[in-house]
Amino acid sequence: MSIAASAPVRIAVDIGGTFTDVQILDEQSGAVFAHKTPTTPADPSIGLLTGMTEAATLFGFTFAQVTMLIHGTTIATNAVLEQKLPAAALITTAGFEDILEIGRHMRQDIYAGKAEERILLIPRAQRLGVVERMRADGSVETPVSAESLAAMIDRLTSLDVAAAAICCLHSHTNPAHEHQIADHISAALPTLHLSLSSDISPEFREYERSSTTALNALLMPVVGDYLARLEARLSAAGFERPVYLVQSNGGVARPAVAAREPARLLLSGPSGGALAAETIAGQLDLGNLVAVDMGGTSYDVSLVQNQRTRMISQGEVGGCPVRLPMVEMRTIGAGGGSLAEMDHVGALKVGPESAGARPGPAAYGHGGNRPTVTDANVVLGRIAPERFLGGTMNLDQAAAKTALSQHVAVPASLTTEAAANGVLTITVAHMASAIRLSLFEKGLDPADFALVAFGGAGGLHACETAADLGISKVVFPRDAGTLSAWGMLYADLRHDLIRACPMPADTAAIAELTRLLTAMTAEATSRLDADEIPASDRYLEAAIDLRYRGQAYEITTALKSPADLAASVAQFHHDHDQQYAHSNPAATPEIVNLRLTASGRLTKPLQADAAAAEITVDPAKQQVFLDRWQDVNVFARHHLPAATVAGPAVIEDPHATLFIPPDWQLITTPNGALIASHLSTTEVRHD
Amino acid sequence: MTDIDAVQTEVIRNALVSAAEEMSVTVWRTSRSSVVREILDYSTCVFDADGFSVAQAARMPVHLNSMAACLQDLISHHLPLADWDDGDVIITNDPYSGGQHLPDIQTFKPVFLDGQRIAIVGILVHHLDVGGGAPGSYDASATEIHQEGFRIPPMKIVTAGVRNQAIIDLLLANSREPENVGGDFASQLAALDTGAQTLRRIGARYGQARLAAATTRIQNQSEAAMRAIISDIPNGRYEFADWVDDDGIDTETNLKIAAEVIIEDDQLTVDLGGSSRQAPGPVNCTLNMSRSAVICGVLMSIGRDVPANAGCYRPIIVNAPEGTVVNALYPAPVANRMAVGHRIVNAVMGAFAAALPDRVPASYYGVSYAYAINAINADGSRQVYFDLECGGWGAHPEGDGANGFSCGFHNIANSPIEMIEGDYPITFTGYGLLPNSGGAGTYRGGLGLFRGFRLDAPTGSFAANLDRFKIPPYGLAGGQPGRGGKLTLTRADGSTQALPSKVAGLALQKGDCLQLETSGGGGHGDPSQRSQALIEHDRQAGYVTIDAPSDRRTES
Repeated sequence: MSIAASAPVRIAVDIGGTFTDVQILDEQSGAVFAHKTPTTPADPSIGLLTGMTEAATLFGFTFAQVTMLIHGTTIATNAVLEQKLPAAALITTAGFEDILEIGRHMRQDIYAGKAEERILLIPRAQRLGVVERMRADGSVETPVSAESLAAMIDRLTSLDVAAAAICCLHSHTNPAHEHQIADHISAALPTLHLSLSSDISPEFREYERSSTTALNALLMPVVGDYLARLEARLSAAGFERPVYLVQSNGGVARPAVAAREPARLLLSGPSGGALAAETIAGQLDLGNLVAVDMGGTSYDVSLVQNQRTRMISQGEVGGCPVRLPMVEMRTIGAGGGSLAEMDHVGALKVGPESAGARPGPAAYGHGGNRPTVTDANVVLGRIAPERFLGGTMNLDQAAAKTALSQHVAVPASLTTEAAANGVLTITVAHMASAIRLSLFEKGLDPADFALVAFGGAGGLHACETAADLGISKVVFPRDAGTLSAWGMLYADLRHDLIRACPMPADTAAIAELTRLLTAMTAEATSRLDADEIPASDRYLEAAIDLRYRGQAYEITTALKSPADLAASVAQFHHDHDQQYAHSNPAATPEIVNLRLTASGRLTKPLQADAAAAEITVDPAKQQVFLDRWQDVNVFARHHLPAATVAGPAVIEDPHATLFIPPDWQLITTPNGALIASHLSTTEVRHD
Repeated sequence: MTDIDAVQTEVIRNALVSAAEEMSVTVWRTSRSSVVREILDYSTCVFDADGFSVAQAARMPVHLNSMAACLQDLISHHLPLADWDDGDVIITNDPYSGGQHLPDIQTFKPVFLDGQRIAIVGILVHHLDVGGGAPGSYDASATEIHQEGFRIPPMKIVTAGVRNQAIIDLLLANSREPENVGGDFASQLAALDTGAQTLRRIGARYGQARLAAATTRIQNQSEAAMRAIISDIPNGRYEFADWVDDDGIDTETNLKIAAEVIIEDDQLTVDLGGSSRQAPGPVNCTLNMSRSAVICGVLMSIGRDVPANAGCYRPIIVNAPEGTVVNALYPAPVANRMAVGHRIVNAVMGAFAAALPDRVPASYYGVSYAYAINAINADGSRQVYFDLECGGWGAHPEGDGANGFSCGFHNIANSPIEMIEGDYPITFTGYGLLPNSGGAGTYRGGLGLFRGFRLDAPTGSFAANLDRFKIPPYGLAGGQPGRGGKLTLTRADGSTQALPSKVAGLALQKGDCLQLETSGGGGHGDPSQRSQALIEHDRQAGYVTIDAPSDRRTES
């Protein structure tokens, strides 16, 4: 299968720590091709272009055929985590300059004698107050003092900073003072990167807004420079087509928007996987999915409900809050590299510490001698040493055995097999607990969900984790190792607009909502105009954040139109009851924010069905330890029989191994995903 | 006894911790008040069939061991376990029956499987108001417990699945916040059911004998770990005393908190015997409260967490004579028990500093800065704005103390100014770090905070339960104390006055401003040994704006 010279081609590139994943979609045939190349950390755009060029040669297309490039990058996240940020200033209301440093002052590490390290984005000497004050209702308590403004500009000029963030109290309800301050700074220092809190995150909670705005200002030079280098490199290579950056909200943005609002890239890591899970839910017609991504060090859980990814309005990076919409995700330290050991209280612990990529599991033979989850799988025969990663890496089974024996089996008085089984049992218990809590905190029942497993290690434990939860269906998408990049192929452009509008949700609010929504719609239209999205591909969705008076949390509820406010309020009472087990339909809730999501739909070529296996190869046999050593069928994923495969079985593909336990059976689907079903779910259903 | 291996133990431990977490999530998810949802002032616990704790989900050190000790008191002195039947829920909030103070309502539910008790689940929730002389049941002028609210002796609130609604009605009729308290209480009972259901699932899955064997092993592991840690501390007797300013009633008398830590191999005794007699005002601790404080002080001194359960408390003996501020007897008031509680933590850590000089930091601020404004709006409606603050950490032998960060016996989040101003007739005049408030030393104590606010309603009243105004957080190894706290009232007409640390019902008018200044932490080591780089950093950031350390002492 190759790409026709006339076929339009879409490229998605996801840059990870080690590898740059490239996915190529032939928009004419729907065929998808994958390629990997090493990441170039000093300038990731080098690896990106290398990957694209290699893919073009491999799969036979030219850059002239490419319609768009969708790019997932961790450049913003890494700059924060590695603290490689430029110097910046924070301009704020006088008397409140320390809010960014004080934070919410709750600690994580309860008994530490020395406080946990916290990232201080902008040091105290670079936080400058201006005498001014807005009230909560947006009225002026103290106008901007001209004298104080001039003094601030003098100090700012004397500082050697590349960017400035402006965050004044209550600017989310009235941005006038922030605008006034920004105008003066721009006049004095026209080249300074400037970010206003009322632009990037106009929501109440001054610390979270300050942190978001400071991050945005700090990242403007970082992301701006990267995108300029990327553009130069692409254009020198003759690539002139649109480029889109993956945002935290599961949508993409043009480089000009990303350079202005780089904080929106900060939590984009989960977006590719979430987009993939959403796409799979649509393709397989499954409404509710728990999507789990198990790699070397972590286990990420996200949810798809009614074929839509669950979003949250705030995340954090390096402990700094980012008040912007993002894909909801719960992460625990459980992966193939998670270390097993008897801890100081004599308990058998697995994770969260990980052997990482180096030295990695003992079986890798890179000098690691402590046992990991992967070593347990090798010892039990679930991973065949000679066929790991499609045979590209030979594993040392003896080293895995030694490590498990020394560090677990001997101190715990267990056989090596029982120790290995125990390591997996504990890992599964941790993962099931993480999923159970994710659902439990929203009042959801695992039995209403299917599990979709990806990541290098996800397929080995998915069925057992599902069984623990009473989930009876597990989906293994194809290309589990590069699923995130695959998901990006199906992204849409997305702008999230928000306006604070604190007021009771009664009929008197309709006029103000209408006025605000009209203004926001105009802004959305001009943004989509700039994106060159045709009118037929534009989707606008309004929503309001509602709460009962006095509550400190809100529920986002769809708003069909301001005139239909009553319907949103009724929905709010219903959702509140479902999520929090009580509601007060007699009360008039308060509106906190009005949101408008503006999407520009990018064409969605259907993915072609995977080519049916032309040959069915008789399975190989492998000794696997279940309750005893026994022969188990081993299939190559691309040679699976059309009929059902009964567990126990091992399925191998180039990037991952799947383990199908007894009591499970596996079927193939036309799009290449495999689905495992539990045969006796009643036995493990709880309650 | 059934044999159980390390794998089964760990899987069951994970299941029991999850059960405690699920109860915790249920309380958070279904409760109403900000005390529960924002300040997270509640905890959940799983006990074995005999009432010894196995797993706890607590975010606040003050809740450590609080339910475990209360349950043992209930079983030993009030309601023997033989009387606990399937479907019962036992309740109490009585400080003199194992509790800490009246707003903390504790509930316990035995879990039965096939007619046998396999576990007990427990939940403690701080309720917004249980009556008494002041909103929030924090009456700084109380001199006996009867002024502090509604007292519930140990009893069955649910008998064989039937709820005793009369008791709930009585409680709600005595609360200023019946809607919040009623909602939170319903959530507390529902979460117990969640926990019981999960425990029954665990019991059915692993079997009663294996569950019992696992809980025993889990407790023994924690005990062994705690004994190993104690064994690493040099044997000896280590003494330290710290002070509470006063009880708010007798403002002339400082209250002494004396701690003698005795290490004998793998056994640790903390003797609080030299502490002051119980006070007329509400700063007293019951014995169980003091025990929680001692355990917190021990864990902070060793700087390590041991899975909290009955086992890890076994090697720690607490002696506190009856009739003192650390073991108050009926009818002493206890609402602001945190004043003495924080000081027990400070005193225990001070004693440990002699044993573990490389590990133990100087004194943190040591106060739950709790204050409230009862605002009366023009239309006659009332609103209570309640807040909590923190201060600076004590400097550590290896580094400066953290500025304005939760430490020690509590763990709190501040409330966003924009949220408070949106909801209450309050305007803030400032919030920030307090330069020069950290104790000087080779390593500097963390800075305290200032928080200023103005009443915009026509009238109102102000209450505060503070401390460390007169006796500042101590320094260690030659480090100087942090600066003490301060409370200043500026009337609308511009006149100012300093307020004491305990204030009950001070009348306010529109435009009156209050400014709270919290303590910085103590310094560690000789100030003259501080590196030039750190001095320069402090000066640039404005953490320190004055010259010689000696000047700073006079300023505080």
